[in-house]
Amino acid sequence: MNQDPRQFPKAAREAVNDPLLRPALNRMKMNFAARRAYGVSAYGDFEKLREAGRDIRDYAVTHLDTLLETFEASVNAKGGKVHWASDADEARQQILAILRDIGAKTVTKGKSMVTEEIALNPFLEKHGIVPVETDLGEYIVQLRHEPPSHIIAPAFHLTKEQVAETFREVHTEFDPNRSLVERNTLVQEARAVLRAKFEAADAGITGANFLTAAEGAAIIVTNEGNGDLTRLLPKTHIVVTGIEKILRDMHDASILLRLLPRSATGQAISTYVSIMAGPVGERDEQRGFHVVLVDNGRSKLIGTEAQDVLRCIRCSACINHCPIYGAIGGHAYGATYMGPIGAALNPGVIGVAETGHHANASTFCGRCAEVCPVMIPLPKIMRHWRAVEHAEGLAPKSVTFGLSLWAFAAKHPLLYRFGASLLARFLKLMSRSGSVHSLPLMKGWFAVRDFPAPAGKTFHEQWQTHR
Amino acid sequence: MSREQVLSAIRARKLIEAPPPGRYTAPKTEGDLTEAFAKKLAAQQTDVRILENMRDVPDAIADILRGKNMAAEIHIAPDSDLAALVLPNVEIRREPPSGFDAAVTFASFAIAETGTLAYASGQDNPASWHFRPLLEIAIVRAGTVVGELEDVLAQLKAKGGMPATLNLVSGPSRTGDIEQTMELGAHGPKELAVLVLKS
Repeated sequence: MNQDPRQFPKAAREAVNDPLLRPALNRMKMNFAARRAYGVSAYGDFEKLREAGRDIRDYAVTHLDTLLETFEASVNAKGGKVHWASDADEARQQILAILRDIGAKTVTKGKSMVTEEIALNPFLEKHGIVPVETDLGEYIVQLRHEPPSHIIAPAFHLTKEQVAETFREVHTEFDPNRSLVERNTLVQEARAVLRAKFEAADAGITGANFLTAAEGAAIIVTNEGNGDLTRLLPKTHIVVTGIEKILRDMHDASILLRLLPRSATGQAISTYVSIMAGPVGERDEQRGFHVVLVDNGRSKLIGTEAQDVLRCIRCSACINHCPIYGAIGGHAYGATYMGPIGAALNPGVIGVAETGHHANASTFCGRCAEVCPVMIPLPKIMRHWRAVEHAEGLAPKSVTFGLSLWAFAAKHPLLYRFGASLLARFLKLMSRSGSVHSLPLMKGWFAVRDFPAPAGKTFHEQWQTHR
Repeated sequence: MSREQVLSAIRARKLIEAPPPGRYTAPKTEGDLTEAFAKKLAAQQTDVRILENMRDVPDAIADILRGKNMAAEIHIAPDSDLAALVLPNVEIRREPPSGFDAAVTFASFAIAETGTLAYASGQDNPASWHFRPLLEIAIVRAGTVVGELEDVLAQLKAKGGMPATLNLVSGPSRTGDIEQTMELGAHGPKELAVLVLKS
């Protein structure tokens, strides 16, 4: 499993040749795109809804400070507490302090990419606290010691046979010869095991899809109901999320709640939408409600060419429509966020030197921007990171050299025309049955593609004759 | 300390402010709201029944339990609006349901746009009861069916603001996490039945 974004090219090559990944990716491409298309077509004017979503998120991103202050005041008024974390380490320490304060030994977790981002689970384990993922997909990949391969379908890369094998290995309390052929049998087994974990947990940690400043609410959407049991059964609920998730109020949220599920799974609404403001209070001891606001590199994107990426609502539509992700899946990226959103976010948050490959892995087909519910210009931001990579001399030498060669020729028309006519003749000479299949020094490029043979003359030459 | 650090990091970067967005209004649900609600929710693997009034509830509950081959036992929260419900032939339990039990709950509102039950939590309406049982039977009055989520928010505001938890439920629990195939009953109820009372 690739854990290093610098190893992306090698990991991507391996992923392309992974026979188990292929059927899962093919199914993913069909499923998600078709479902979104249906969800969008069933809603009246979806473009208008996207524009509204973009404007709401733009307002939030440019008013983060005041909205977060209002949010804090609202949470305080409801008996909760807000914690601020500049980076991953601060976030982990603050969460640990809350858990130590209540003497927590086990924590159930709802789905949260931010806790993946800050590597919370290994940290808690090191400090003697057992984190239990409860989203079925997250639970499966946690048992297999893998990271999620997709931000909303963490275990899509696995077959039900692989899941059955893992359950048989880990759930030793059941008959080893039980049948685990049906998917629903697997689901019910996980339900039974995890229900006991919910009942025993001292605290529950969830993410948040949105925060609303006016009401001090954290909103989560799920289809399983695991996020709710995570909040509702233990004594203390901790929400861990990024500072950019803030909205003005519930009215803004009601609009984004129409965009998010349609863009993600094509649903008009997720099965469960939970608006959580303050401690649960169902039992007397349920008085703990904490929200940990994580910056971790987000604020430095404000006011830059990558600012729009902060509008993201993590629906995964860009990932589901990306030909690169569709060929290699999520693990190859070696980072929490994959696909186009990863390519636009990671270089800004993690660094261009570390994740420049992500921005380069794009065909610039533009589907990601077309389906983005909040109209993030993803290809434009990826191009920005490419430019930064080039300007800071971080691009591979061969690329820099090739580009400077081309730039020199392009600035000298006579040289350019001479070179082009030479190349057109040379390529025609090297072609067989209409295509160039290989060239010296370019084995790598031709290993997976052919180049259509040119006519033997440049456009300029032909224009001179035909005019 | 971190608080000032995060806020000053944001303020140091903030150059342009986007204007407040115009108020987008979602398309209004047309026609009979109760009918639209029932139709939407029934399309989400939910058993929706329209009843005349509370007097029809005991028979409907008994029928649903029989139809699902479940024991004639049901959990009803002690402080709920339904605490006084009398169910001949069905044993009533007051403790929270386990993952194999059936529970009856009362929804504060229903939303026609998406076929959604809305539960405002409180002592009389413990939120965990919507996620604990195997079968949830929700009762909702036709008079509380509204068009959109915005209508629920407006009514809650008029009644003093948001509850600790507002749960929107649009069908039984499901997951697509194994081979992207939908299976019911992931963590919350595997089955959901809704009794809509006309009066």
